[in-house]
Amino acid sequence: MAEGGIRCTVNGQEARFEAGPERTLLQALREELGLTGTKDGCSSGDCGACVVIMDGQPVNACMVLAPQAEGARIRTVEGLAAAGGLHPLQRAFGETWAFQCGFCTPGMLMSCVALLEANDRPSRDDILTAIAGNFCRCTGYQAVVKAVQQAAAEMRGGEGPA
Amino acid sequence: MTAPAVVGRWVSAPGAAEIVTGDARYCPDIRLPGLLTGKLLYAPHPRARIARLDVGKARAIPGVHAVLTHADIPGENSYLYAEPDQPLLAEDEVRFQGDAVAAVAAEDERTAAAALAAIEVEYEPLPGVFDPLEAMREDAPRIVAGEDNVIMREVYRTGDVEAAFAAADVVVENTYRTRWAEHAFLETEGAVAQLDDEGVLTVYSSCQAPHRDRMQIARALGLPESRVRVVTPYIGGAFGGKDEAHVQMHAALLAHAARRPVRLIRDRRESILTHVKRHPITVECATAASRDGRILAVRARAIADAGPYTNATYEVVNKFGEFIGGPYRVENLEVEKIGVRTNNPISGAFRGFGAPQAAFVYESQMDDVARELGMDPLELRLLNGVETGTRMYTGVVVRAGDAMKASLRRAAELIGWQGRTAQERQPAPQLRRGWGMATILKGSGLGRGLGDHAGVVLEMHRDASVVLRSGAADMGQGIVTVMAQLAAERLGVEYDAVRVVRADTAQAPDAGASCASRQAMVSGNAVLAAADSIRATLLGLAARKLRRDQAELDLRAGEVWADGEPSGLTVRELAERASAWGYPLHAEHVSHFEYPPDVPEASYRFSQEVFQFCTQVAQVLVDCETGQVQVERLVAVHDAGRMINPGGVYGQIEGGLAQGIGYALTEELVVSEGRTLNPSLENYVIPMALDIPALEMDVLEFPEPVGGPLGAKGIAESPIIPTAPAIRNAILDAVGQPLYELPMTAERVLAALDRAAPGAEDG
Ligand code: FES
Ligand code: FES
Repeated sequence: MAEGGIRCTVNGQEARFEAGPERTLLQALREELGLTGTKDGCSSGDCGACVVIMDGQPVNACMVLAPQAEGARIRTVEGLAAAGGLHPLQRAFGETWAFQCGFCTPGMLMSCVALLEANDRPSRDDILTAIAGNFCRCTGYQAVVKAVQQAAAEMRGGEGPA
Repeated sequence: MTAPAVVGRWVSAPGAAEIVTGDARYCPDIRLPGLLTGKLLYAPHPRARIARLDVGKARAIPGVHAVLTHADIPGENSYLYAEPDQPLLAEDEVRFQGDAVAAVAAEDERTAAAALAAIEVEYEPLPGVFDPLEAMREDAPRIVAGEDNVIMREVYRTGDVEAAFAAADVVVENTYRTRWAEHAFLETEGAVAQLDDEGVLTVYSSCQAPHRDRMQIARALGLPESRVRVVTPYIGGAFGGKDEAHVQMHAALLAHAARRPVRLIRDRRESILTHVKRHPITVECATAASRDGRILAVRARAIADAGPYTNATYEVVNKFGEFIGGPYRVENLEVEKIGVRTNNPISGAFRGFGAPQAAFVYESQMDDVARELGMDPLELRLLNGVETGTRMYTGVVVRAGDAMKASLRRAAELIGWQGRTAQERQPAPQLRRGWGMATILKGSGLGRGLGDHAGVVLEMHRDASVVLRSGAADMGQGIVTVMAQLAAERLGVEYDAVRVVRADTAQAPDAGASCASRQAMVSGNAVLAAADSIRATLLGLAARKLRRDQAELDLRAGEVWADGEPSGLTVRELAERASAWGYPLHAEHVSHFEYPPDVPEASYRFSQEVFQFCTQVAQVLVDCETGQVQVERLVAVHDAGRMINPGGVYGQIEGGLAQGIGYALTEELVVSEGRTLNPSLENYVIPMALDIPALEMDVLEFPEPVGGPLGAKGIAESPIIPTAPAIRNAILDAVGQPLYELPMTAERVLAALDRAAPGAEDG
């Protein structure tokens, strides 16, 4: 662990990692912190498999250089479930078949969580816009829309799926 | 009173909780003590002689634990999907950009990259052969020394094609072209290999065929298969692109040489440059019809570009020919199928296996015939479509064929096929709207005459929890869910009570590859048979306890039912008794794909005989100034025989539709002189969430009478097949111009419009 490296919080915990010149936040999360839930589909900002929430905004972690994460609050898929169990969105993803292989899911979930935190009643277009950068080769995004709307309804309080 | 059935219910996949929490481990996520990073050095030229290869400097770098060339391979230096003509590491020549020349394992990524850079290779570039027609010439250089450039050339003929064309009122004839398409599974190819203390090499493999991988790894290392174990971790998609092994043997060779575990993952660029693509096929096709709309004959000649190595070319091109007549009663048909080596990217398996290219051709021809005849394309298809009992041009008798016309009618109803206003057709001066359909059939299973079987092991414990071990790889398509549902259904336990072990050759019998839409059928049947043997034991115990005849009893929702009512006796109590008294609740079964014995002698070779039927209808808006095509609506009606796992069925359909839109409009690997110009997800353009319309899907259930578990059939491949021709026909309807080449990019649409109005100025 590098002394005087990058300091930030990851899923509410203090974290520290190396500040190598080409090191990305994605590499730091996966390799140094062992948070392999966040995926690498391209390393070039084109697929969204690596989306994490940084200071409230979804970002492609492969395009964030480690030094840019200094002092940031970072949330990854590993931080979604609370002590009480899965986040409603996590449950909805499983129930609606919003994934098949699941490799896009961590990034997709983080994009959708960021959306739900800003908008508790997202329309189909809001959802598609929120996941416009999240490539999924297995689904056609329809079930993702369904999952987000189901979770939104649940989070608003027992209205049932929209 | 009835208990809820597990089959047909929406259930979450067994691994859903791991996937949504990020706990699911895919190859790149595997961490082992002492893990090294593996990397491969790929050829910079599509064709070159290797004049010198020196790895001395690379080996000397501190932190480098192994550097291997072909000379360091203890066993066979070849892949073995079909023919052993593709080396694992090139010897004297590289034949396409995906050929690997050397392999390294090092402490970390950076050291591995430095080792690759220190490998000295002198290439003497050779003139490549990039045009299949050129490659077919007698004097063309041999792509693989000692092997003919023509991998296959076969003609299948039935009926009297000459006479039928001579008698035709209408003949439509055109040349069609399709291009290389990329699977773009989100997880690139990878493997992790580790040699344990007992000399067993364990390889974690992102694959479709773990037992075939085991054979290939053992063969490359010169080890007995008993010393190789292949485990499938979570797999991030495959679609045919991980059917053949990729880096498993290299990872194993490196781990063996370095005596340390090695992880080898292709980056996206390497992935696109190396693995097989959908075959580009050029097809000359003619269809003969009578004035009243009967299809009399089809004649086609297809030349497929295989790239340098055989891989699945025979199988794919053979399947292309099998489906070139479509789901129609065509009595006279002739198809010549040619597969040719070049120094272009290698071609092989990709969802649909030749059927998407065939469907683009025959469904385009159908609409062109309808235009010639002035007939409604829907009517033409209904008039010629197969039915239950139809003997196809392949000799195969269609068993549940009523799904064909039912899917056509339902899709037409959903889109509102009839009666469009001029305002709808031309909403603005430069915009044209159109509707087009395509209907297809695609077989499931490897094909008659090919070994097509799958084994499972099933065990119920004393607490009535169940473990299911299968060698069937789940790459996301959902076979583990289907198997868990079938086992739960037959054993009368809750779905959650069944744990499916991810495919592991040390724990499960061979189930063959997860390909050809086969696993739900063949592994599904194996699960039913194994479960029935345990069920018989449980029911025997229940009959004794309840003093009832076994035939009156059923197992549902954790209980024994008698006369349609729960008896109060639980499956758990039965399992406890079985355990206490030593009755085995353990079964292994191997199922074979079933074929009925009613095919005549001259039938098509390796024919598939369980058919997936589906119809798709597209509504498009074409901008005549830019050539942009927007898919506004897409209706898809698919027959699933019987739905076991609705989430998976709809999932397969929506995913296939998205892939189909890409194949239709944007996805093209641009290759020039053997070099791929767009090996990235940025430049290989795949539709994203905002590019896909709301998909309107419906599923029909016409139970499969032979060999489908509970009437179910495979459905994985069909969704991608009709999309491109449906969109093509919609563009034709919108602008009156036919297209003959995929993908139908804006440039190609504009070119078609220009053909219609020579000399016309833009806007
Ligand atoms: S891995 Fe970051 S966008 Fe693809
Ligand atoms: S579920 Fe496989 S990429 Fe999205």
